[in-house]
Parts: sequence; structure tokens; C-alpha cells
Amino acid sequence: MAVSADGVSVGAVQGAGAPVSGETGRWTRREAARLLFASVAVAFTPVLAASRPSQSADGQHETGTPFDETYRGRRIQGAPLPFEGLSALGVEWRVTVDGRPLHLMRRADGTWLSMIDHYSWYRTPLEATRAAVDELGPRRRLLDLAPGPFHGGHLHMEAEHGVRA
Amino acid sequence: MVYVRKNVSKLTRTERRRFVEALLELKRSGEYDEFVRLHIEHFVGDGDRGLRAAHMTPSFLPWHRRFVLDMESALQRVDPSVTVPYWDWTRDRSTTSVPWTDDLLGGTGRPVDRQVMTGPFAYRTGNWTITESITNVEFLTRNLGRPRDPIDLPTRDDLNWALKDPVYDVAPWDSTVTKGFRNKMEGWGSGRVVWRNHNRVHRWVGGVMLGGASVNDPVFWLVHAFMDMQWQRWQRRHRKHRYLPAKPPGRGSAQYGRIVARHERLPPWDVTPDELEDMSAIYRYA
Repeated sequence: MAVSADGVSVGAVQGAGAPVSGETGRWTRREAARLLFASVAVAFTPVLAASRPSQSADGQHETGTPFDETYRGRRIQGAPLPFEGLSALGVEWRVTVDGRPLHLMRRADGTWLSMIDHYSWYRTPLEATRAAVDELGPRRRLLDLAPGPFHGGHLHMEAEHGVRA
Repeated sequence: MVYVRKNVSKLTRTERRRFVEALLELKRSGEYDEFVRLHIEHFVGDGDRGLRAAHMTPSFLPWHRRFVLDMESALQRVDPSVTVPYWDWTRDRSTTSVPWTDDLLGGTGRPVDRQVMTGPFAYRTGNWTITESITNVEFLTRNLGRPRDPIDLPTRDDLNWALKDPVYDVAPWDSTVTKGFRNKMEGWGSGRVVWRNHNRVHRWVGGVMLGGASVNDPVFWLVHAFMDMQWQRWQRRHRKHRYLPAKPPGRGSAQYGRIVARHERLPPWDVTPDELEDMSAIYRYA
């Protein structure tokens, strides 16, 4: 059974080696250590379906399909915003990893990239999000208010007026 | 007076130490992190709306030229003898050669979490805590060469392929163009070749160099000094060719208001690409 970080079942695990446990409740120190070891062991194992920029063909996920799944122990969710966003291509997505926002950007050819990996691109928001999780490994998490080119939904054009606090 | 930017492999022991110490001082004062934020704020994709000043755009080269110049000025306020060295990755290609030595930038990250454990920028020195980031990790990370799925640094042939293109850039002036010196250097590929030159180097270093906060790895400056040197080489090889576009795209163009033409202001500075083309009065490469 796949569980997210807060113990709620969120569907099928995608990819191999996701450090998940069917047991809920308190862990003993040994169990926690074992889980930690397991998650370290798979920490940066390439999951090729996600790690191959733009060449991978998932086949099941079109760009417009929302997703909500556990991938390598992380809950990843994404959906197109219901209004026209900042993308020149017309669709802006809200994507989160364990509830924290992951900023996705688009290329002019319609592919997607994330703030975690600026130099690879993927056919769909789902692929870009999985690749960001691959790159995060088990210990890193996104910040709630990570700096980015967008602030509060408005394109940040005022960078020249000083650095944000 | 014109100063000299050197190959990092040619720095004396003293020059290495002074370069590192000046970086650490800027980090301590907080000034370094302003550079990190500025770079994050200027990463706009060409599929997003808005002006692209720094990436996926003709002004990729002048933007980073000015960015390195600003860092160099900051370093020189700490120590007037310091200039930004360049890393020639067509020559120094191993994960243990310069600049990955203990007296310069330190080595690759450890396997478990990619944390850099050696050199002056290791977290445990207490001198290089990452605060401007996308994630909660405060230590510098690297994954040189991506050992689990190895990738090579770009080669001299890759550089020459870019340098021999006489045209600076072509419409639609974004990451999808397959002609023009600018994107051949910036390195947005397609199909089988995903990363070229600059982008491939970021991918090869890995860790924080992959993301929007890549400036947190001081190798950023050595990479962009070498990029800048290639632009100068290109200019010398093609003396009749200049930065393009010379004029802004018209109102009917999809690129209207989204790129910086030769005589337009290059944010965040009050400078134009035209004014950044000739650096011969400021520095030269040795």
C-alpha cells in the first residue's frame, strides 16, 4: 500500500524503489533507521522514465491531465489553473511536492522544466515534477516561499529596484 | 587599467587563496547572496510571458557578461588584485582536476546526499551556508559527471561548432533556434542532443548548478568567464558580425517586448547589449 508522508493513501506508486511503508503509527528507532537506510539506498537511483528529458514517453499522461500520486515517497499533485495564466502558451499549472509549490516553467516548444532542474525539459508537468523529485532525493524538501521569478502570481519585473528581503 | 582574467589552472597558490578569500568575504557580508537572488529572479522561460533578459534569449551572453563584471567589481572591492578566473572544461575534464581541488572549489558531493565535503566551500567550514535556495538544504551540492548515468563535458569540437557560426542569433530568438552562435553556446538542444556547451556544463556539475540557484556554487563564475571568453573569440573571428537583433521585433511579432535588441536597456542594469560588446578597455583573457 502506498502512503504519503501524512499516512493518507493517495494511489499507485509510480516508479521503482519509493520508500514507503504500510505501517502507520509510531516507528521504533530501528524501524526508522531501516527506513532511512532504505531511502538513502534509493536516494539517487535514476528512475529513467522521469530522468530522461523529453525523450521519455509516458503515454498515459497528456499535458492537460491533472495528477495526484505518490512518487518515491513524495506526494505530487498538479492541475492546470482555471484561468489564463502567465504562460504565453495559455495554460499555467499549480504543482506541489508534499504540499509545497514547485515552480514550473515552459519552453516555447511546449515542454516543461522546473526550478529544481533548469536545464532539462519534459513533455508534461507530471514528468517534470517526477524529475524534480528524483533530483531532490529523500532529504531535501521544497521551501514554502522559495524565491522565484514570480511573486504572488505577478511576473516580477522590478528586480532592478532591489533585492527582496 | 586593463586587467587580466586567467585560466584557473594557471593561478599561483597565492592567487588561488586570494580569490577564495574574497568570495568568502562577500558571502560573509551578505553581498554574494544578492547575486544568487538576482539570477533566480531573471530566469524566465520562453514559453512564459514577459521579458527574457538572461536565458533563452539573445541577451544571454551580455547579461552574464555584466553579471560576472559586477561580481568581479565586488571581489575587487575586497581585494583589488582579484579577477575572475575561467575554467576551460575542454582541457580540465576530470572530476579531480582544477577547479575541483581543495585549495580552490573543493570536490564533488558525497553519494548519500551530494554534499560537498572538501575545500573552502564545504558546509562544515561554517563559511558557506546556502540561504537563497529552492530547497531546505543549506549545504553546497555537486554530482560531478553524474556517475550513475555518466555524461561528458562538452568538447573542443562542440565549442568550434558554435564558434564557426557567423550569425550571432536568429529568429525567433529563443531556446528553439538551431542556428546562431548564441544558442549553440547557451546549449538548448532538441531531440537526441539535449544539452550542449553551457547547459551541458551545468548538467555535468549537477547539484545546485542544475537549478535556479546555481550561483550558490562559485564555479558558476568560472563557467561564465569561459563562456564570455568564447564570445570574445567569436567576435574576433567574425568581425563584421554583431549582436542581433539590431532592432526590436515589431508589435505583430510573438517576440514583441520579450527580448532585448542591440540598443535596448538590459534589465536590471542601465546598459545596452551594444555597450557591452567591447570589453577591451576593462579586461582581457590570458
